[in-house]
Amino acid sequence: MGWQIIWTVLKKELLDLFRDRKAWIGTFLVPLVIIPFVFFLLGNSYSNVEKEAREYVPLAIHGSSPLIDMLAKNPGVRLIESADPEQALQAGQLRAIITIPERFDEEIKAGNTAKLLVAFDSTNTKSVYARDLIKQTVEAYSKEIVAKRLQQAGMSEAAIQPIAADFQNVATEERKSGGMLAGFIPLMLVVSLASGGIAAANDLVAGEKERGTMESLLTAPIAANHILTAKLVAVMMMSMLSAIASLISVSLVFSMGPLGGGDNAAFSFAFLSPATLLVLIVVILLMAATFAGLELMLSTIAKSFKEGQTYMSAVIFLAMVPSYMLMPQSPVDIAEHYYVLPVFNGVALCKEVFYGKVDPLHALLGIGSSLVYVAITIAFASRLFRREGAGLKN
Amino acid sequence: MIEVKGASKQFGTVTAVRDLTFRVEEGEVYGLLGENGAGKTTTMRMMATILTPTTGDIEISGFSVREQPLEVRRRIGILFGGEVGLYSRLTARENIAYFGNLYGLTSSRVQERIDNLSRMLDMETFIDRRVGAFSRGMKQKVAIARTLVHDPDVILLDEPTTGLDVTAATIFRRMVTRLQEEGKTILFSSHNMGEISKLCKRIALMHKGKLRFSGDLAALRKQYGTDDLDDIFMAVVEGGEL
Repeated sequence: MGWQIIWTVLKKELLDLFRDRKAWIGTFLVPLVIIPFVFFLLGNSYSNVEKEAREYVPLAIHGSSPLIDMLAKNPGVRLIESADPEQALQAGQLRAIITIPERFDEEIKAGNTAKLLVAFDSTNTKSVYARDLIKQTVEAYSKEIVAKRLQQAGMSEAAIQPIAADFQNVATEERKSGGMLAGFIPLMLVVSLASGGIAAANDLVAGEKERGTMESLLTAPIAANHILTAKLVAVMMMSMLSAIASLISVSLVFSMGPLGGGDNAAFSFAFLSPATLLVLIVVILLMAATFAGLELMLSTIAKSFKEGQTYMSAVIFLAMVPSYMLMPQSPVDIAEHYYVLPVFNGVALCKEVFYGKVDPLHALLGIGSSLVYVAITIAFASRLFRREGAGLKN
Repeated sequence: MIEVKGASKQFGTVTAVRDLTFRVEEGEVYGLLGENGAGKTTTMRMMATILTPTTGDIEISGFSVREQPLEVRRRIGILFGGEVGLYSRLTARENIAYFGNLYGLTSSRVQERIDNLSRMLDMETFIDRRVGAFSRGMKQKVAIARTLVHDPDVILLDEPTTGLDVTAATIFRRMVTRLQEEGKTILFSSHNMGEISKLCKRIALMHKGKLRFSGDLAALRKQYGTDDLDDIFMAVVEGGEL
């Protein structure tokens, strides 16, 4: 009988929510619209700046040297005459000013160090790109000179390079791809889990109270806990829908968007194994249950829909703080105690999943402690919900 | 049958209902009269087991609201005035069926009840439309159908005609008479003495949480020697003579 009642209430809640535009916006706006939009915008502006910096590099040169010919061979470099080069550099019309002192080439020929003066603007990304280009060209030119000098002295290049270090990256392609996601996805996932259920939770208790439907519902011969269970499942479903939409959205953005080009071309979910996928699903479920319980608790306390909305912002805050705190950390650096702190444990485990290696002890600690938090949250929500008069508007 | 036995309800330091005792016989339409804030809704909520009496008890068809709340809920149907409490994104049929299912009715029984109630309340033209855009009168009909879907023995009507126009209120009163003919026990609360007198022979009169009178309306008229119900009401609540 209990399951039948829960199923009846759940079916009605889902039908009601699917017809509620507010709930849909709350669940899918962030993952399906805001994430791709921010990423495309960021990615586009980043790649546009880079493209412009590479395609057109206007430089002003004082003096002359074969170095200039070498510099001019770089694609995009334009040597420009300017009446007031410093002003032009400040205004962004020039990317750098190179001043070659007199006797520059003579000093080099004499075997001395010749000084070169390069003025650039560190606050202008394009000017910084020009500086790097000049630096690379100067290094290449210096290398040629060094080679000639060594030859004249009867020495090989090995004489000035006794050690050749070869750095090898041990991170697999999967881990590189997962590592990039491990920073960002837990944040998106946790925030969508928290935000996805808010509209539903607020509507299903505070909204029902305000509209007077809760009072009618409480006169039916059913246990308050059955009503709450159905509402909890409905809110969890909206949370998880939002989280899944976030995952899909982020992976699409990474594989197709402007940020997905170049090094990220090999992006895939290959770092997910059946075991880590299972951990991810359990973590998502437990976090959805914790947030749903918390949101229903706040919705029960709230006297009106508006009051509920105000309380709900605390849930977003609770989701964001751990996500931001752990975002820059690699899973190997995350201290053990984070695996038992609420929300932190979910974020930390998500990071491990996306790095492709979940420590069994961490999984046990994280999942075990999450179960405790879910039990506490739901027990509180149930107690509040069963309190006399909790379903009444006034 | 409804039997209120010394029921009181306290909210913190405020006593909303104080030592209330009256009895509604089976098949009777009984009036619960009082101004706004007199304690009528609190009394109804105690009968519906939404609130528990601080002291005393109420029995509905022999079941105690304290000891057997689920048995009580199975036997009552409650309709609130003002806010009719419907799901605006669901159709009228979906609203009624939801409650039918919660009362444990089979699907075929729910549909049968909806068809009957829809005919009785003249809702056939809008039964499959979402209630969000309905007029106050249309919503009230859906709420009545929802209250009656499980065919309750005892019907609690809390200011049911609030916000209804004259025609809708008249149709509503006719429905109450018809339900009485079917043998239902009905408690009808109102702040309007005139409305109560059209439906009820016996009434309970509440003022500031206390029972000021319970019994026969005709006897009350005789006692105060006037037919002007508003004057009688004022005299009773002020505790004086006319």
